[in-house]
Amino acid sequence: MQIQSPPPMRAAIDIGSNTIHLVVARCTPHDLEIVEDQQELVRIGESVTATGEISQEKTKAAIATLKRYKALASKHKASPILVVATEAIRQASNSAAFLEQVFSKTKLTVNLISGTAEAALTFFGSTYEVYKEPNPPAQIGVMDLGGGSMELVTAKNMHITWRTSLPVGSGWLHDRYLSSNPPTYDEVTVAETFLQTYLRGLQLKHHPPVLIVTGGSANSLLFLARSAFNWDVNQTQLTQQDLMRCQGLLLSLPAEEIAQRFEQPLARARILLAGALIIQTMMTRLRINEIHVSSHGIREGVLLAYERYRQRWLEIVSQSAEALNHMQPSNGRSEGYIAYTPEGEPFAQSGRRLLQERTQTMLEWPEEVLKHEDVEAVHKMRVAIRRLRATLDAYQSICDPKSFKKIYRQVTQIADALGAARDTDVMLINLHAQLEQVKSEDKAGVEWIIERLQTFREQKQLELESFLQDLDEDDLRKQVELCIQEGVVSHGKS
Amino acid sequence: MAKARPITGLNPQDPTGKNARVIAKVRLEDLYSWESFVDNPYNIVELHNMRIAAKRLRYTFEVFEDVLPVASKAVLKELVQLQEELGDFHDSDVMIALLRLCLGSHDTATMPEAMHLNGNNQHAHVKSLVSAELIDDLLDPTVAPSVEERYGLEHFLQSQEQLRKKQYDAFRQHWFALQARDFKRQVLELLEI
Repeated sequence: MQIQSPPPMRAAIDIGSNTIHLVVARCTPHDLEIVEDQQELVRIGESVTATGEISQEKTKAAIATLKRYKALASKHKASPILVVATEAIRQASNSAAFLEQVFSKTKLTVNLISGTAEAALTFFGSTYEVYKEPNPPAQIGVMDLGGGSMELVTAKNMHITWRTSLPVGSGWLHDRYLSSNPPTYDEVTVAETFLQTYLRGLQLKHHPPVLIVTGGSANSLLFLARSAFNWDVNQTQLTQQDLMRCQGLLLSLPAEEIAQRFEQPLARARILLAGALIIQTMMTRLRINEIHVSSHGIREGVLLAYERYRQRWLEIVSQSAEALNHMQPSNGRSEGYIAYTPEGEPFAQSGRRLLQERTQTMLEWPEEVLKHEDVEAVHKMRVAIRRLRATLDAYQSICDPKSFKKIYRQVTQIADALGAARDTDVMLINLHAQLEQVKSEDKAGVEWIIERLQTFREQKQLELESFLQDLDEDDLRKQVELCIQEGVVSHGKS
Repeated sequence: MAKARPITGLNPQDPTGKNARVIAKVRLEDLYSWESFVDNPYNIVELHNMRIAAKRLRYTFEVFEDVLPVASKAVLKELVQLQEELGDFHDSDVMIALLRLCLGSHDTATMPEAMHLNGNNQHAHVKSLVSAELIDDLLDPTVAPSVEERYGLEHFLQSQEQLRKKQYDAFRQHWFALQARDFKRQVLELLEI
């Protein structure tokens, strides 16, 4: 009798925006027996979002993690160790230097894969268990929510029919909109407005009845829900209601407490609310009430692809994924495929979104200004209004001229009132700083001008307060909403 | 502050990235339209306008951050620095104008640029930097500075002028460093990506 040798042991590592993730498994072309599954929250995407490049600190952290994973894979006698890098590395201006440094310190070759290949591999990885079942669903959607981007794929009878990559991830949304700890309701409102407007641009041809969500945030949310609501450990579904409950928790507790209570790494706890908001907005957009969370993804896809195609795994996956992009049905577009990115977002749509966001941000400050406790409140409101004005300037030619004039006049009046106060604050700050340095015989002169300016500043505060108390915030918001009309052609004419 | 010139010819249905590049190019040209005034430190009004143009270009890069190439962050960093440098000596210009006003500027010997301005222009120049209300407030005879206070103000004015010179030199040095590496061309090339 011939003794069958066990399937080979392989390892796959995925360097993502948030995490670096290792899977070691015994592999066949259609199944995996996972023996090691580890992830480290390095958040490379954080430095790329901030500066456009991968910082030395993040490079060191990534190399340390990769060395540890290599040792772990070797312990299991896994070969080869396949490494892929995704969005954050693709975006970084110093990605080549990063990959060289990784190779020189670890001797691991990192494959920098395209968004298309990433989506295909994630799809293979996150659905292989579903397709092992006796009656798998005919239509399925897969959403891979990462730190810097999300991939959305739909498939029919195991074949991908549509995919898109959106450069919005949980880390990105957190860094951009939800920086308070815990995030404030106002921040959440702005983030939701952004997501709703942004995802409205997704031109879906089919709405998959089943959605599998993968990625660190989705899995952490499931883990949190299991712990917080005493669920069974085998529960893998989350409903809209469940996500609402998770959001309630994440809004009421600081990240440190979330991390401690629910055994989450702190860096993950910080971005969980962003993940919950993205998933929930996507569910609403797809009109589904429930998702299935998968702990598998790109790494499992890499292992399955290697087992099927061996050395040519990446070439074949990339080619077939690219072919999807180039399918040309009669309408000249690949079926259901819209390359939707912020860059491709129609100008009128981004204008409506940006004007609403900027107005909301500006209107978060009057209360602080009226307290008159911190001079920085005036400065911050002035910066917010400059950003709003710059946005109005950029979109002027497609705004309704009458609405534009009205809003611009109002915004300029607020800016002028704030400017008079802030300019005086700046002079006073500079004068106080210099008072320390002038000779004692010269102090009387500086003190004289400080006194004059302080009196003037108090007058300006009264004017500013009176102005802000009269400001009709709801009316301003309404005007801004109507400023760029649907179906606008140019110069505000429809 | 004059309103930004409107940008025409933008198609509302075009991708935001495409229109963002058109807008950024216009704002870049606006900034460079003040270039010829850089070398004269006493072109106070024009350098203030240059500061506004730098600010508008900066905010354009910020508004469209998501749709411009990642390398735009480096441009943004330069623009922030430039705007701050122009802002620093503008703040000093305002303070100097205020001090001269309080001292009755024609009396003082510490104003080299007075050589460039006749009496009327001098008045207009102060008005362009300081609000009329503040001028009225400072010139209120009931609160005029005493001799001792005037003495202190004179010395403070001198130190402000020295500080202003340093601030202008820092800006000028930065501007010419940008010129040496053909910053404008770099930005334009970036906007072609």
